[in-house]
Amino acid sequence: MKRLYIAFVALITGTLTLSAQSLTQLEGSFKTGPAIILIAILVTFVLVGIFFRAKDPADYYAAGRSISKVGSGMAIASNWMSAASVLGMAGMMYGFGYNGLAYVVGWTGGYVLLLILMAAQIRKYGKYTAPDFIGDRFYSRDLRIVSAIFTILISFAYCVGQFGGIGLMFKWILGLNYTWAVIIGSSVVLLYTLISGMIGATKNMQIQYVIIVISFLLPVFILAFKFDYFWLLPQVGYGAAVTDIVQGIPAPNISGGAALLNAYGHDLAIVPSPEFAMPWDPSTGTTFFQWMAICFSLMVGTAGLPHVIQRFYVVPKITDARWSVVWGLFFICLVYWTAPAYATFGKLLSSNPEVGALAKDAIVVYTAQLGGVNGLIVGLLAAGAVSAAFSTVSGLLVAGASAFSHDLYVKVINPSSTPRQQLKIARLGTVLMAVLVTVVALMKLGLIAQLVSVAFSMAACTIFPLFLLGIWWSGSNRAGAKAGLIAGSLVTVISLTYFIAGLRGTQLPGHAFISYWLNVWYFAWIGAPLAIVVNIIVSKLTKPTPEEIKKFLAEQVHN
Amino acid sequence: MESTDQYNFSIFSPRNRHGRKNRNVIFTMLAIWAVAVFGFQILLRVIEKPVPEPALGQFEEQWAIIASGNEADADYRALLNSLVMVRGKITVTEADKLLLSDAITASVVRLVPDSVMQKVTDGIGSLKMMHEEIKTLKGQEYLDLKALIRDAGTAINETLEPFTGYGPGSLEAPILAASLREEWPASFTGTELSRLPDVMKLYLTHNRSVLTDTTFLGFPFHYFYTAVFLLILFVVLCIVYNRLIEWRLNKEGIVE
Repeated sequence: MKRLYIAFVALITGTLTLSAQSLTQLEGSFKTGPAIILIAILVTFVLVGIFFRAKDPADYYAAGRSISKVGSGMAIASNWMSAASVLGMAGMMYGFGYNGLAYVVGWTGGYVLLLILMAAQIRKYGKYTAPDFIGDRFYSRDLRIVSAIFTILISFAYCVGQFGGIGLMFKWILGLNYTWAVIIGSSVVLLYTLISGMIGATKNMQIQYVIIVISFLLPVFILAFKFDYFWLLPQVGYGAAVTDIVQGIPAPNISGGAALLNAYGHDLAIVPSPEFAMPWDPSTGTTFFQWMAICFSLMVGTAGLPHVIQRFYVVPKITDARWSVVWGLFFICLVYWTAPAYATFGKLLSSNPEVGALAKDAIVVYTAQLGGVNGLIVGLLAAGAVSAAFSTVSGLLVAGASAFSHDLYVKVINPSSTPRQQLKIARLGTVLMAVLVTVVALMKLGLIAQLVSVAFSMAACTIFPLFLLGIWWSGSNRAGAKAGLIAGSLVTVISLTYFIAGLRGTQLPGHAFISYWLNVWYFAWIGAPLAIVVNIIVSKLTKPTPEEIKKFLAEQVHN
Repeated sequence: MESTDQYNFSIFSPRNRHGRKNRNVIFTMLAIWAVAVFGFQILLRVIEKPVPEPALGQFEEQWAIIASGNEADADYRALLNSLVMVRGKITVTEADKLLLSDAITASVVRLVPDSVMQKVTDGIGSLKMMHEEIKTLKGQEYLDLKALIRDAGTAINETLEPFTGYGPGSLEAPILAASLREEWPASFTGTELSRLPDVMKLYLTHNRSVLTDTTFLGFPFHYFYTAVFLLILFVVLCIVYNRLIEWRLNKEGIVE
């Protein structure tokens, strides 16, 4: 026993020493402590996945409707808080100042829409997936197929950013190049999702949420304490740091008789930098319109994301659907109140030019490193970021696989398939999607938050109008839904075409105009309202909704 | 089946009293939500004004003097101060960093005797080599070279301090050391630095108003409102909505 104890202490000491040595190098080295934490967390996820593995399709898709409202809230938060929330958001604020806050507001404000317009009604409607609802409500097999395809595309676009985030963290921890880091990370998340399905994922999401919150909050308390800001509530305490950045800090920056230094021994002095906090500052290359468009697109997209909507099927009661949104939003806000603090401390700690240019998407981890936070805590932070990406990816892969197997295979291709065949197809869909996402993630098309916002705009232009009108207006009919979907899709296709052409160096006609007004990060500002208006006009001009649909809506959803 | 109006439903025309009350709650919540989020940003936009930092005034004054050809050493020192204030900002693009570095080096050259400048140029060359070398290093070797780079920067600043006034440990010193280049433009009025006034204006002008200049709990007020308060409001709105709905369901004896 004594030997075991000594071995344990030696392991911990060794890990601490190794990690403390390696962590002052921001990139390029293998970090032992963080690697051990990451492996331990991943093993836990897989074990939980195996323990709570899906036994039949109902478990795989909707966790057997056995999750409590607080548990579901945690799962919503964990499912929601992806690499974009934990890594990307702080990166946007670090790079683009106040415009980064459009992501914070957009990704939380959308939950108000989701609650008051969707949550309970979706649960009352009682379908498993978004294409299920759309196919049924608009009595159209075509719409079911198209919405299933969009569900896959949205999940795909969302996953690309996540895989990028996983790659960045694996790269940071393992000291590998980005390509290998993405491939290894993708393989692990795929394996875990295949083993567990959504029931394992839901249990894991609760564990993941706890890991994300602890790992994300702890370094900020330490940073605020260390650099003499109000550390008891750093989510408010960093406000003084924002003002310091705006006004500038002359050198030497002294507290309690000692200079405040980053991990490289650089003073925390900074030239006045109002661009960090002033709205749509010209030097950040952002505008008022972009702030509003991003915020609106993210909010509306939130209420149209299939993997988010799908979570309301897993709560046992309608009231639970409503309260799970509140819990989910509260749990999300705990992290979202903290993310700007990372950007702020990151700005201070990297103000010395010798620190060099930092990758925005990894600024959260760099900030903790530059702040001299203990290596194991930084490792936990990185593992938490991986955990965030994992929880979202598993939900997305399940949503994508559900659309593939449940909405396309079972409902369209092979209605007489056995549960065993369905599960097999779901797993095949998951593998296909993961492989394709890995290939696209390796292309490094943009920052994590930007890549994820493409999925939001797609959802806002296609799924959101169908749910909004499908629930709240019985007059919205099949023809209107199809026309609205075509309008939303058209905007999506135009925006994506110009984006891809731009990446390939091709200038299409009106490139500058489209790139600004229909930018791929926020095209839903016009696409979503257009899809709604077209849906209404065409519905008014065509054959009304069948009586049984209206009756179902009136009696089951709005009674 | 023939369609009738019996089950027609829309959020604007609910079918019963419960529906009407539900609609009113939803619209009230949406109105609060929209005004709180977008209304505030519109207000911010309406009342903001472009306000220059003091360094911009300093730059424009010195730039005009230098363009007229009547400059003295003090003018270059003042110009250097304003350039360093911009070069130290993290948002500066790589292209603009190069431009500013050129201008900073050209200013320093005019303040420093040739013999001293030769020593500084040697130091810059050695710094450049170390920056290249560090890219390939890991672990302790990386950290050792990082310390050497810091020392080399300090040595350059010690050499330049009598002329620039930036002593080691000052805010400006590390920015200056990171900016100096081995080559520099011959003239301030040539094409190489023609973009400089626009670049300085871009980085030194900010949208400000009473909402950005008022501080609240340490934050600029607008920042607190957007980053902290709005999120609290969203949670509160959701709780209020749920409570209202449940209260009315209970009151009307409706079981979902």
